[in-house]
Amino acid sequence: MMKKSLRITLKRWAGLPVIRSLLLFFGVFGPATITAMADNDAGGVATYSVAGATLGYPILFLLLIITVLLAVTQEMGMRLTLVTRRGLADLIREKFGVKISLLIFAALVIANLGTLTVELAAVKVTSAMLNLPIIPFLIAIILIAGVVVTRGNYKLTQAIMLITSLFYLSYIVSAVKAQPDWGMAISNIFWPHGVDFTPAYMRNFLLIGMGVLGTTITPWGQFFISSFAYDKNIEAGKIIYSQLETYVGAFLTNFFSFFMVVATAATLFANHIPLTTGEEAAMAIKPFAGELAGTLFALGILNAGFMGLIVVSLCTAYAYAEFFGLQGSLDSNYKQSKPFYMIFILQLVIATVIVLFPGISLFKLAITTQTINAIALPLVFYYLIKLSSDKELMGKHANNGFQKWFTVISTVAIFAASLLTLAATFFPNLGR
Amino acid sequence: MPFISQLIGRAVVDAEGILLGHIDEVFAIQKPAIQHPVLVSLAVSNKHEITYYPFSEVTALFASEISLAHPEGSLQRHEPGEDEIRLIDDVLDKQIIDTNGIRVVRVNDLEITRVNGSFYVSNVDIGSTGILRRIGMGKLADWINKVFPKSASSNKISWDFVELLVHDQFMRLKVPGEKIRELHPADLAELLSDMSHHEGRKLLDSMDIEQLADALEEVEPEFQASLVQEMPDERVADVLEEMSPDEAADLLAELPAERSEGLLELMEDEEAQEVRMLLSYPEDSAGGIMTTDVAAIRPGLTAAKAIEAIRDLEPDAESIFYIYVTDEQEHLLGVFSLSDLVLAKPGTLVSSFMHEKVVSANVLTKQDSLAQLIAKYNLLTIPVVDTENRLVGMVTADDALDKIIPTAWKKKLPRFYYYSRA
Repeated sequence: MMKKSLRITLKRWAGLPVIRSLLLFFGVFGPATITAMADNDAGGVATYSVAGATLGYPILFLLLIITVLLAVTQEMGMRLTLVTRRGLADLIREKFGVKISLLIFAALVIANLGTLTVELAAVKVTSAMLNLPIIPFLIAIILIAGVVVTRGNYKLTQAIMLITSLFYLSYIVSAVKAQPDWGMAISNIFWPHGVDFTPAYMRNFLLIGMGVLGTTITPWGQFFISSFAYDKNIEAGKIIYSQLETYVGAFLTNFFSFFMVVATAATLFANHIPLTTGEEAAMAIKPFAGELAGTLFALGILNAGFMGLIVVSLCTAYAYAEFFGLQGSLDSNYKQSKPFYMIFILQLVIATVIVLFPGISLFKLAITTQTINAIALPLVFYYLIKLSSDKELMGKHANNGFQKWFTVISTVAIFAASLLTLAATFFPNLGR
Repeated sequence: MPFISQLIGRAVVDAEGILLGHIDEVFAIQKPAIQHPVLVSLAVSNKHEITYYPFSEVTALFASEISLAHPEGSLQRHEPGEDEIRLIDDVLDKQIIDTNGIRVVRVNDLEITRVNGSFYVSNVDIGSTGILRRIGMGKLADWINKVFPKSASSNKISWDFVELLVHDQFMRLKVPGEKIRELHPADLAELLSDMSHHEGRKLLDSMDIEQLADALEEVEPEFQASLVQEMPDERVADVLEEMSPDEAADLLAELPAERSEGLLELMEDEEAQEVRMLLSYPEDSAGGIMTTDVAAIRPGLTAAKAIEAIRDLEPDAESIFYIYVTDEQEHLLGVFSLSDLVLAKPGTLVSSFMHEKVVSANVLTKQDSLAQLIAKYNLLTIPVVDTENRLVGMVTADDALDKIIPTAWKKKLPRFYYYSRA
């Protein structure tokens, strides 16, 4: 036990308004930050690396937009859940019926499975770079993820995810080691400059920019934040703290994205070294930023992959439980929530088999996943906006005009841009 | 077995076979004497126009076309009443409480059974076959049920064990909570935390005062406050009277000052006075956490009379491990335990077996010191006295240790400590 005097002091502190608010904030802290961090999963890191290497600092301009967009949409999902005491999937089922639910669930299952495969593929490639035994390593990671989720409770899973988030700090080291031009990097957040904006550059900017947006703002992210916040049982009275957390989470994740881009922009773009895959970045930056920066970068990808595996796989399991009305909570044991945990494990196993199968083109898989995500995202946003603007459901917490129209316009923009991207991917000579 | 999913959108014809429209909604009424709601009317939509027909007109429900008894012109019409449940809009796809398993599940389909010419909702289907039926794969669902009869029956809940959750104001259920009444207050509190505020309030509205007080005592004061936020003041005041004074004071402390003052005005004077007194003490003092529900009797009684007196007092279960002895002016004279009382011969006087050296706390004693006293003397409760040694209340070990030991540890401690003489 603590000393009495210390205890009393602590208690007095806890009574202060500022400290009380802080304590309440940390009480709700978790779901939004974890979702936002997982948006920078292995696929995300790879995309940001390619973006930095191909486009240099100007791509940083997109970070500001992405941060605002992520913050607004995540906040919507969080608010919806806290006010209605339901997950997004619960609400879609109740308000829009069983057919729509099945359709969205099917899209989510396929897209999430694709995302998981991309995640595992990144882990596979990176572990090979670090000279780790591939198959035992993959199996170990899957086992750890399985044990943590099925045997542990909500708190443990959340704690592990938050600790995992700390590993994103490694990108700061990698970026510093790359000795970037910090002035250029920071000024490019506000206006893109310092390169030749040729048509070819602009075309790449659109393509890669969409990729960056697509890996950060995802359908699964919308479902996951809602389910994870629901599982945490946050009271509606603490909504303001949770809203704050969504903003903090959106800021943090893009804060780290900044360093990922800087690390590759300062080395690979500056020295005109092209990247075809993101994982190569870890190797490619070594000559310029040193052994440590490269290794940390690789470890960062592994870590992001691990986090993505758990979060994306949990997302499908939660959605299943909500859509079809089964028990699905990390705080229930395996027996109580058998289908929930089974879905979680099954996805990981299937994704592992796909990755280990040599004949499957991972590039095609990644494109397919991105296509499904791009098509599903406006659909998910449609329901998210409709539900969170519903005055009957949300009362005084319904969307205000800005929230509603900002997301509507963004959704249309994202959808249009993703169509363009897909067109450019399938027809590489378009517009040239 | 017929299901409600098979009725959605089905064609309805009159006695002459002329198409009237398609089924849009099925209404049912829950009658008090019967466990299962009986189907009472149909809503038939024909190009945006909706007509309601009573079930007495239906001659064949589960056929390829639903036929009514008379030609269109002479059909009876029906106006759905307030107490009719919309089975398709308000029950399908919604969550219900399975009061048997105490869990919240989702309605995938409803099974209809015909008894003596009336149709009743017999079971709720929560399984995957219900979903298959909803998307038009009824044959596959039947086949699966035939192959796995065990899972088919485990995916059905009888309506007896179902409680509807009230989702939005469309809900037409007058008396929810019939089955909920039988739940333990702690289970009820858990269900409350699973519901949205709106539903939670509806459920609270349907409960009687005593039940409400019991359930509220099981949840955290902050959550209590949010639950009573939109309840009418008179009702809240009644509930506060029913709650133990210390719990009532905790709840009032969470509410805005103006509202709690208003509520105190509405409460019976005696109860309000006790709560006011409790509220006047600092939150972390003995006065702030004590309860005024305390069993006190006079020293001149015999053991037999004392037992009768305690029975008449009907103190809360948590508070009668020790019985305090006071004089006419409430001055604390002594204490004895229930075992002392049971072991004493019926004729002996309380004053002869009570312990006169009582460890007591002042109303302003800090919670930390209280906890230390309780730990040092191994007490279950500690009496609280004012400056003139008059008994004003007592603090249970639970409450004293509450803020000092994290809840998780408290659960691991044995519930009863060995009683040693004070």
